[in-house]
Amino acid sequence: MQMTAEEKDTNRVATESNATREIFLPPERERVKDGGTPHVSAKNFSVFYGNFEAVKKVNADILSRYVTAIIGPSGCGKSTFLRAINRMNDLIPSCYTSGSLLFDGEDIYGRYTDEVQLRKKIGMVFQKPNPFPKSIFDNIAYGPRLHGVKDKKALEEIVEKSLQKAALWDEVKDRLDRNALGLSGGQQQRLCVARTLAVEPEILLLDEPTSALDPKATAKIEDLIEELRGSYTILIVTHNMQQASRVSDYTMFYYEGDLVEYAPTKQLFTNPRDQVTEDYITGRFS
Amino acid sequence: MAEATATGGKKSEAFVLSPEKLRRQRITKFIGEGVLLAVASFVAIVVLFIFYFVAVDAIPFFQQRGFVEFFTSTGWYPADEPGEFGALAIIYGSGMVTMGSALIAVPLGISAAICLSDVLPFSVRQYAKPVIEMLAAIPSVAYGFFALVIFAPLLQNYGGPILMWAWWLIAGPFVFLAVIVVGDLLTSKGGDGSKRKIVRIVLTGALAFLATLFLYWVGQTLFAIQILSGTNALNVSLILSFMALPTIVSVSEDSLQAVGRELREGSYALGATRAETIVKTVLPAASSGILAAVILGIMRALGETMVVWMASGNSSHIPEPWFNYLDSIRTLTATIAGDMGEADQVTGSERYHVLFAMGLLLLVFSFISNLVSERIVLRQRKILSGE
Amino acid sequence: MNLGTRKILDRSFTAVGITSILLMAAALLVVVVPIFSGGIGAIFFKGTIEHRKIQYNEFEKGSRKVIDRQIAEVTPYRQEVYRILDAFEADMETMEPAEKRDYLSKYKKVRDIVAHLLGPIPGDPEPILLRYQYGTTRWEKAEESLHDLMFVTKWDYSNPEEMAKQYFVPRADEFAGTALAALFPYMEKNLDKMLLPEQTFYWGFLTERSLDAHIFGGIWAEIQGTFFLAVGAMLFAFPLGVIAAIYFTEYARENFFTSVLRSANSTLAGVPSIVFGLFGLAFFINTIKVSDSKSVLAGSLTLAIMILPTIIRAAEEAILSVPRAYKEASMGLGSTKWRTILTVILPAALPGIITGGIISLGRAAGETAPIIFTAAVSVGATIGVADVFTQPTPALSWNIYNLASEHEAANEIRHVQYGMVLSLISIVLLLNLSAILLRAHVSKKLKG
Repeated sequence: MQMTAEEKDTNRVATESNATREIFLPPERERVKDGGTPHVSAKNFSVFYGNFEAVKKVNADILSRYVTAIIGPSGCGKSTFLRAINRMNDLIPSCYTSGSLLFDGEDIYGRYTDEVQLRKKIGMVFQKPNPFPKSIFDNIAYGPRLHGVKDKKALEEIVEKSLQKAALWDEVKDRLDRNALGLSGGQQQRLCVARTLAVEPEILLLDEPTSALDPKATAKIEDLIEELRGSYTILIVTHNMQQASRVSDYTMFYYEGDLVEYAPTKQLFTNPRDQVTEDYITGRFS
Repeated sequence: MAEATATGGKKSEAFVLSPEKLRRQRITKFIGEGVLLAVASFVAIVVLFIFYFVAVDAIPFFQQRGFVEFFTSTGWYPADEPGEFGALAIIYGSGMVTMGSALIAVPLGISAAICLSDVLPFSVRQYAKPVIEMLAAIPSVAYGFFALVIFAPLLQNYGGPILMWAWWLIAGPFVFLAVIVVGDLLTSKGGDGSKRKIVRIVLTGALAFLATLFLYWVGQTLFAIQILSGTNALNVSLILSFMALPTIVSVSEDSLQAVGRELREGSYALGATRAETIVKTVLPAASSGILAAVILGIMRALGETMVVWMASGNSSHIPEPWFNYLDSIRTLTATIAGDMGEADQVTGSERYHVLFAMGLLLLVFSFISNLVSERIVLRQRKILSGE
Repeated sequence: MNLGTRKILDRSFTAVGITSILLMAAALLVVVVPIFSGGIGAIFFKGTIEHRKIQYNEFEKGSRKVIDRQIAEVTPYRQEVYRILDAFEADMETMEPAEKRDYLSKYKKVRDIVAHLLGPIPGDPEPILLRYQYGTTRWEKAEESLHDLMFVTKWDYSNPEEMAKQYFVPRADEFAGTALAALFPYMEKNLDKMLLPEQTFYWGFLTERSLDAHIFGGIWAEIQGTFFLAVGAMLFAFPLGVIAAIYFTEYARENFFTSVLRSANSTLAGVPSIVFGLFGLAFFINTIKVSDSKSVLAGSLTLAIMILPTIIRAAEEAILSVPRAYKEASMGLGSTKWRTILTVILPAALPGIITGGIISLGRAAGETAPIIFTAAVSVGATIGVADVFTQPTPALSWNIYNLASEHEAANEIRHVQYGMVLSLISIVLLLNLSAILLRAHVSKKLKG
């Protein structure tokens, strides 16, 4: 599966089910450095809640350092799939999986997998901003402290760097000791991104990160995703199709648990291959 | 951004563990959860211990004296040689004050709960709730002190007038309400509009006159009553009802809240008034929860010690006539509290064991009531959630 | 039914509901207000010179000079009383035996009241009990005694249909024509000059030990005992309760065993408090013998068991009310479950847990039945912290019962009882109030 992007324009990385489709890397000028390798690969991967199959036998590769959007109507399994990647579904007692889901070639649901270490590498930002009721500093430092960083200097450095990456540093640098709940919704969400970045993940999972925000704050988050593209593999679940087309390189469309279509974003939105996809993106149902 | 973590760069922090590390992790987790479980089971162990240790000291009594005397005789002379241990009057006394407090607390508590859940706006409710919490927080011995030192002398000196005023204030409004309703019902058929109206006014007036006579007659009868001792079943029942009220109100209110808006809106939409909606729709749906509330409230009254010990008069006999709430009585809890002081010196005597027998009786009763109310609440929750 | 009637019914329905709430509020006031006003009297009252003498002699409070001066001030007035008494006694010696016998019992009553008011009469042997070594310390009590001195209480049994009626006859009539007759107007006129009542703030009521079984002195021993018992109970119950709540909310799987554990919890909550007392006696004292007989330790353990279900329930509720999002965020950052609980969930739930703890503390402080057989004694000095493992203690709740129901002079020391009840209620209500405020503050803070 290991292939380098520079060799060819037509680098096939996915998929077998849902009829064979080819995914193309973007044109040269939009490509990211060292990216494009399969970072997470699903093979016949299903998620069940009790008897209900919420995600049905998905086969797909998520490419490293690109932004992949996941769209689809409510209840189609898109969030479930996202949460399966860092095993957040473990918190739901009746949830189990079948098939395999690989991260860097290792099975996420393998016998020897430590979900705690896994979540460190695969960070997640949630639908509603969920800062802890602590100071801004403590929020960011929470992760590094968990993983053993105790030195105050080092912590300060990490906090500053993470906040800068999340484009929040200038707004909060004077009040790092204030309660994070005092920030605006958009700032809280960027704080959550910064908090996730502070543990240096490889993958960022964004679960409808802007659904609770106003348009101005949404634009800021989208800018942030643009900034982070190329450094992290980003998966973003979104209800908003304009958002998907604006921020992502690739788009997955889920419908009733099936991965219906997975293609470069431009292609999916301009020339969908599947009738259901077309109906959805043209707004015939939602 | 270039310095960001390289994909798969740090293999040292692999998320896949070696088998022995995993085993170690599992063992730690197992031990940790085991400790938590042990602590959580502590309560269950305590319950078993309570049953065991109370029963162990209660059984010798029944072995020596059997059940018949304890449950059927009213002769309570534990200090005599040989002693008599007939607890019937004491059990009756417990039942009497429990029933009395329930008669006061249940209607009052349920209407207060309805008021809190359906009538009062949220801003008022915020102030009503602390009142109930305070009522629940006052220690039982303070209620006992109030009953003995403040209320009992009042009842003894002004018993008749107090009873009369209570009768007028409580029964008066209800009787007149009944008069209006009966007048309405009797004239709801036949006749044309204006004629019927006149008939109704005349009929209602006549009924109201009769009702006033009735109220006055009962009031005067009550006024003439002289209470010999203020420490009696009425005093205790009233104070116990204060103590049972918070439980009844809060559990009933939860149950009423659990009945959703939809049901209420459905009824309003059909043109029902608030009273009709609550009585005909909400109360039936919440009835099992309210029943559980009543059971819990009654248990609080039955298990209460200090008030009855201080203010019931502690005389072990069945009142004459049997419903005479103005007579002194004695209850199980007060007997345990009061007699242990003398019985304790001779640990192992019949007198010591009979008190544990009473404790066992209370314990079994509270256990059964708890199970029943728990089942009722569970069932209601299931029905309301549509299973 | 007629629409008008329906409307009336609806209105009265609302009225009944609101009336019942008002009745509950009224019940609260009716109970609390008299206790409050009575209890204030234990601290704020008109104290006589006798009160100041006790304060100086027993607790070394007040100044010698002032007391000496006041004693000098009252002595001439008192001397006159003693002179009248002596004169009458001398008269009695000259009377016929029958007449003398008749006067003797009546005179003894007068003499007792005078001694009760002013302290031992000069020439009498020094009394052993402290209560007879001083006169009346509180002015309103002195006025009651004065009334007893001035009038004889009689009962009218003339109407057998009704209860006997009380009426008063002036005592001076009994001694008309004797030397003692002068005593009554003199006492009535000069009592305040003999006792010098002054408005007194007696804070020592809360901080001083009791003298002669609460006839004089304060209630420190009871306050301290209540503190030991309640705090001891919390030391056992709080950690256990919180840990059990963590298990129930975060670890327990929904199965039969868990439902049994939950049932056990509600069963324990419903056990009558006196049965906890029986259990404490049978188990802690008679079986595992944590102490030879009653002790603070045994009482605390018994109370701990009693408040455990409340703490567990409150902690469970507090933990469940922590937003799931916090937990997800922490887990999403690669935290273990245990660290998530320790660093995120417990801190966020802490105010709720503490609220439950405070309310339980109040309950432990107020309960009487569980400590009757396990920890409480009616009289006793304050105990040291080291004694809690072996010694019983007086406690507010128990001593309220004891003083009101079993004390030989229960009617004489109503003010002490009121003071104790007020202290206990204040402790409990203040704890509850702080819990209510804490809860309101936190819910406001969580809303942002």
